[in-house]
Amino acid sequence: MATRNRTLLFRKYRNSLRSVRAPMTESKPGVGPVIEMASTSLLHPKRSYAPVSTEDPGNSSKGAVTVGLPPDWVDVSEEISVNIQRARTKMAELGKAHAKALMPSFGDGKEDQHQIESLTQEVTFLLRKSEKQLQRLSAGGPSEDSSVRKNVQRSLATDLQHLSMELRKKQSTYLKRLRLQKEDGGDLEMNLNGSSSRAEDDDFDDILFSEHQMSKIKKSEEISVEREKEIQQVVESVNELAQIMKDLSALVIDQGTIVDRIDYNIQNVASTVEDGLKQLQKAERTQRSGGMVKCASVLVILCFIMLILLILKEIFL
Amino acid sequence: MVLVTSVRDYINRMLHDISGMKVLILDSETVSNVSIVYSQSELLQKEVFLVEMIDSISVSKESMSHLKAVYFVRPTSDNIQKLRYQLANPRFGEHHLFFSNLLKDTQIHILADSDEHEAVQQVQEFYADFVAGDPYHFTLNMPSNHLYMLPAVVDPSGLQRYSDRVVDGIAALFLALKRRPVIRYQRTSDTAKRIAQETAKLMYQHESGLFDFRRTESSPLLLVIDRRDDPVTPLLNQWTYQAMVHELIGLQDNKVDLRAIASLPKDQQEVVLSSEQDAFFKSNMYENFGDIGMNIKRMVDDFQQVAKSNQNIQTVEDMARFVDNYPEYKKMQGNVSKHVTLVTEMSKLVEARKLMLVSQTEQDLACNGGQGAAYEAVTDLLNNESVSDIDRLRLVMLYALRYEKENPVQLMQLFNKLASRSPKYKPGLVQFLLKQAGVEKRTGDLFGNRDLMNIARNMARGLKGVENVYTQHQPLLFQTMESITRGRLRDVDYPFVGDHFQQGRPQEVVIFMVGGTTYEESRSVALQNATNSGIRFILGGTAVLNSKRFLLDLEEAQRIARSGSHMV
Repeated sequence: MATRNRTLLFRKYRNSLRSVRAPMTESKPGVGPVIEMASTSLLHPKRSYAPVSTEDPGNSSKGAVTVGLPPDWVDVSEEISVNIQRARTKMAELGKAHAKALMPSFGDGKEDQHQIESLTQEVTFLLRKSEKQLQRLSAGGPSEDSSVRKNVQRSLATDLQHLSMELRKKQSTYLKRLRLQKEDGGDLEMNLNGSSSRAEDDDFDDILFSEHQMSKIKKSEEISVEREKEIQQVVESVNELAQIMKDLSALVIDQGTIVDRIDYNIQNVASTVEDGLKQLQKAERTQRSGGMVKCASVLVILCFIMLILLILKEIFL
Repeated sequence: MVLVTSVRDYINRMLHDISGMKVLILDSETVSNVSIVYSQSELLQKEVFLVEMIDSISVSKESMSHLKAVYFVRPTSDNIQKLRYQLANPRFGEHHLFFSNLLKDTQIHILADSDEHEAVQQVQEFYADFVAGDPYHFTLNMPSNHLYMLPAVVDPSGLQRYSDRVVDGIAALFLALKRRPVIRYQRTSDTAKRIAQETAKLMYQHESGLFDFRRTESSPLLLVIDRRDDPVTPLLNQWTYQAMVHELIGLQDNKVDLRAIASLPKDQQEVVLSSEQDAFFKSNMYENFGDIGMNIKRMVDDFQQVAKSNQNIQTVEDMARFVDNYPEYKKMQGNVSKHVTLVTEMSKLVEARKLMLVSQTEQDLACNGGQGAAYEAVTDLLNNESVSDIDRLRLVMLYALRYEKENPVQLMQLFNKLASRSPKYKPGLVQFLLKQAGVEKRTGDLFGNRDLMNIARNMARGLKGVENVYTQHQPLLFQTMESITRGRLRDVDYPFVGDHFQQGRPQEVVIFMVGGTTYEESRSVALQNATNSGIRFILGGTAVLNSKRFLLDLEEAQRIARSGSHMV
């Protein structure tokens, strides 16, 4: 893949032409408030600001990176991407907690359950919040800025959707494994019942066994009730995520379709600009004709007439 | 994968080194180059949040200095002027200029002159100056394609521009592949000769430093040939998926526009047919219509299975599974509807135009012998009311190309009948075609009736019978590729440019067809490459033709030739 860099030649010409031009021109106007960003990306977690004063552009050495202040909505998108990053780290923790809870342990396992619960809730909350903020990014109007906003929105929506799907996969595998364990617990119960029927012959053993049985049965009941509760919670979060997915799928681009083509999107922008213009013109026309104003005035006059009639009726009766 | 990968690599390089929010600015030609290999969602991943055309960007006054501008345009004087204007009033924080072909020094000078604000960060040449539709097929999408048919004296500046664009495209291809080829051309075509010689001059003299790549065992071969050596292939009706879509509906930059054909729901009005993105299309693009029908039915059955299981949601697990698989399900649904719609519309067209009947005669004209029977068949179809004008024209042209010298009386009768039946027929078009591509002008053995070997082969084929009457035709290109593979491409017919020679067989061959390629030929190339004969073929042309486009070029050339002769 051959390329050729013409920058050196370009700079040479530019400098020589500048020296020809310099004695004749004034100092050039500034570009507004500038913040120098060194190797930054507005949507990456790491960001480094290096403050710089407004230099005299005449002295600018090779490629001084001056980027103007971004508009406000960029802060919103920054926030969303930070939340997404946080959600990602929490999900990694959640994965570990799931694995730990599924391992057979002697303890009650209650702290594990609590941890899983809280982590799941946090992640779901972060995803929900990001999704709501994402809606704020939408803008009306066919300007260039709104195209940029829409595209940023789409890119973040795709990330969010991937995260949601990952979370759901983790949860469903956890659920499945949980169910399997519950069944094992059920088998244990069956064994108990089986042994209890055998012990009916011996009277003496009966009393002892029944007490033993009762405690065991109670314990397995408790375990299954706990498990039921967990499953219920997981199911709830699954439903919440389903809702998020539905909202997001409206924003995310379907790959491989016409909407994913660059030339289609460029044409579309052009036509939406035209459509927007037509709509604006139509709105202007309807507003000017002021149908509403006429209606309102007619109604007010009618009210007055009715009031007068009422007063007259009162006077004459 | 070669062509698509090279263009993608260029775009990746462009975007990778520049961090932050970017805007990509393209011109009307590079937008095709980029859109066909790169998707919008991939651009978003690279943080390109706005794509604009260089024409419309001067209109808006918004200052977006938080965006970095990446320009990817052709180095035409028009674009340079637009760039000048934008550099004088820079709207973006940074400006990175990438040109798809070689810049002249004067152009760099002009740009440097207008860059008073020092807004430009870099100026580079990234040679993605062709439209890579398929792995081994590219096109240059040239608008005034008909110029190759006219002698140079008619429109010298137009022909010069045409030739320059082709040379630029070929040069960009070889720079992207990092090769310098040995060049051969078709002796009988002036345009091909001119293009071959100018390409050689560029690669071996003007910019020989740039093209001085590491030598491999055997140099690749560039073969420049002329469409008029095989006028039959673009005139035939097609029955393999990709070629058929282009012939009946029209495929532009791998997009199909169905709005003119039928009224469809919004998401099916324009669809994408790309072998890179659509697995079903990739495995079916070279299959014939009957097989496609069966494969689509199978795909629909599979899809219905999935849909049924999705409706059967009883437990929470089912619900969870459904939501998990929803994006894939939606994608599958979109894909199934796309292919079903396409095949349905094409079936309708086949039925309405009686194409099964017409195509059978066309294939007979192209492949088998028998002048008398052919005359009968063509006359019958001309008399048939349901046959459309364009199909009648094609039949007469095919007959004329084959039986040009046999039985001129009957040929004249056919011309007259055609003129009387088709009101919109431009008189003399068939004769014009014969003048351009008649038997005297052609090099190759188009109908297999010159060379003894070919006659024998045809007879053998006739005896054996064909698998499918509708796809028996092999484009002439197939024979050319075979000759190259066997090392038997005749020097007399296809001389070398300058004093280059080729020892042994080349391992890479680029065939450039002046006047345009067809999808039937690109299929031939793909199938040839799949046989792993040790040679990799790449096919390119000035445009991708279907019969409508080829006839349009003929008409346009005829019109100009006529008006030119009036002036003289």
